[in-house]
Amino acid sequence: MSLMHLSFYSAFTLSSLGLAFHRTHLISALLCLEGMMLSMYVALAMWPIQTQASSFTILPILMLTFSACEASTGLSLLVASTRTHGSDHLHNFNLLQC
Amino acid sequence: MDQPLVLNTFMLLTLATLLTPIILPLLSNNLKNTTTTITNTVKTSFLISLIPMAIHIHSGTESLISLWEWKFIMNFKIPISLKMDFYSLTFFPIALFVSWSILQFASWYMASDPYITKFFTYLLFFLIAMLILIISNNLFLLFIGWEGVGIMSFLLISWWQGRAEANTAALQAVLYNRAGDVGLILCMAWLASTMNTWEIHQIQLPNQTPTLPLLGLILAAAAKSAQFGLHPWLPAAMEGPTPVSALLHSSTMVVAGIFLLIRTHPLFNNNPTALSLCLCLGAISTLFAAMCALTQNDIKKIIAFSTSSQLGLMMVTIGLNLPQLAFLHISTHAFFKAMLFLCSGSIIHSLNGEQDIRKMGGLQKMLPTTTSCLTIGNLALMGMPFLAGFYSKDQIIESLNTSYLNTWALTLTLLATSFTAIYTLRMTLTVQTGFPRIPPLAPVNENNPAILAPITRLALGSITAGFLITSYILPTKTPPTTMPLSIKITAIVVTALGMALAMELSKMTQILIMPKQTPMSNFSSALGYFNPLIHRFSTTSLLGGGQKIASHLVDLSWYKLMGPEGLASLQLMATKAATSLHTGLIKAYLGAFALSILIMIVSTY
Repeated sequence: MSLMHLSFYSAFTLSSLGLAFHRTHLISALLCLEGMMLSMYVALAMWPIQTQASSFTILPILMLTFSACEASTGLSLLVASTRTHGSDHLHNFNLLQC
Repeated sequence: MDQPLVLNTFMLLTLATLLTPIILPLLSNNLKNTTTTITNTVKTSFLISLIPMAIHIHSGTESLISLWEWKFIMNFKIPISLKMDFYSLTFFPIALFVSWSILQFASWYMASDPYITKFFTYLLFFLIAMLILIISNNLFLLFIGWEGVGIMSFLLISWWQGRAEANTAALQAVLYNRAGDVGLILCMAWLASTMNTWEIHQIQLPNQTPTLPLLGLILAAAAKSAQFGLHPWLPAAMEGPTPVSALLHSSTMVVAGIFLLIRTHPLFNNNPTALSLCLCLGAISTLFAAMCALTQNDIKKIIAFSTSSQLGLMMVTIGLNLPQLAFLHISTHAFFKAMLFLCSGSIIHSLNGEQDIRKMGGLQKMLPTTTSCLTIGNLALMGMPFLAGFYSKDQIIESLNTSYLNTWALTLTLLATSFTAIYTLRMTLTVQTGFPRIPPLAPVNENNPAILAPITRLALGSITAGFLITSYILPTKTPPTTMPLSIKITAIVVTALGMALAMELSKMTQILIMPKQTPMSNFSSALGYFNPLIHRFSTTSLLGGGQKIASHLVDLSWYKLMGPEGLASLQLMATKAATSLHTGLIKAYLGAFALSILIMIVSTY
């Protein structure tokens, strides 16, 4: 596969592994999620250029819109957990479970 | 002599003369307006406007000039076009004559007012707006004049702004006129989309016009000319000073609605639905107003209701497909109605502000000229043969009796004619005859040329105007030439019956008759209970409905409850139910996720 394909496959995989194996803070998970979105954006933008199908050029913009919604949801969850628990440590999330 | 050129020049000169008191003070500090300059301006305009009317009477010259074109969008141009035909050429001198007399009277009536020059300027603005309305050939220019007279009416009714009733009355006038503007805009929109023009000489359809634009025009005329349903603003407008009542709400502004119907008459010609609607609406208005006038005790309100009744009669004439006769009635009505208001103003000032006819009496010896002219005006209003009102009113009643129309409308109109006789005779007898019921030290004085000259001038007009106009103008539609004797004398007989009934009322001035409260008399003196019913119920229901739809339904319900907040509460229900079902160990979950993805990729490789 070409160098471009290698770069965003590896970016996506590294970000998803980072999402799975963070241990301490919620915000690192959110940052990895953003990295995944970024690599997907670049991939979606390169695909219609390479295949010369101009109808699909709008797809990255659509994805960006939804990623913005999702990032804001993640940040609001972060703020909510910081307000109740004082920090965004992940071991707080099942603290009050009965 | 190049007649169209002279015609156009003198009409434009009339309008330019009226504009000088507005433009000249802006140019130099020394040229301030005074009451005499404005009165003399209107007098000069009147004299200049006699020349085009004379040219028209002599040779039937008409003209249509187009001054400037507003190129609105590509296919639709709005020219500022002025139409000088019989209607505008005849109405200009009449309106200017009446305005000149009223302005001369107002220089005495409002002499103690500190802002009298502003008052005169407002009256001048009103006059200019009214003349623009009359002379315009384009519905857009007519709308400008229409709105202009509405605004000036608002400013002039609330002249004594400190009075709460005056402000309420002015607001009432504006709101009811606004309701009519909706109709006019509906008609203009229909014309723009169907005929691509707003020019009056171009809006004609060979076959039947759809009823929708005509309904809009009838709504506009009903609001401006105080037909039944949109009438309460006219009696309430008597809160303004008497010159305002004389100019606006008797001769000029209220006839603007009827004038609109006269101008757009080619559209009405072949739509019998619209014509029947005009007929019935006019008949109801004239009877209702005459019924309300029977028990009024304020002299200005009696004259206001009689104006409303005559406007209903004009609407009936439009419904009979006789626009020229309606215009004749407008012209003769202007003279005697303005004179009635000026006489009442003279009486009111002489009695130091007393407007109740129960506290007037025996004024014939104290104010001879005023009361004689009051009698002449009342006789003209009743349709006394060969005074001004007779030429128009009798022709209308004859045409009513000899056409194929709704009997109910005919009955109502004849009944209203007899009521007219009753209340005018009641007013005349109570004000003028019998023993005086006024306080002893009243400043009764009419020896001022500022009062006597306008009133006698208008009296001369009330006597001769009908005769002069009908002698010089050829009718466009054939008037009925023969009819049985009983139909010919219907108007006179009905009026005489009314007068005979009213002679009983003359006893009221000598003997104290205790007023009885019967349901009919209560209905009449409460103006048909229309004001409290409509002004409370319709406004609360409209505003309440508006709040329900805009605020409760759209804002609170759809945008909040069924949208985000509803969604959030649903999610919360589901989460609370599911939260006890899982352990919440995120680290373990994500580690398992990564492991399973790895296994999937390896197994497919």
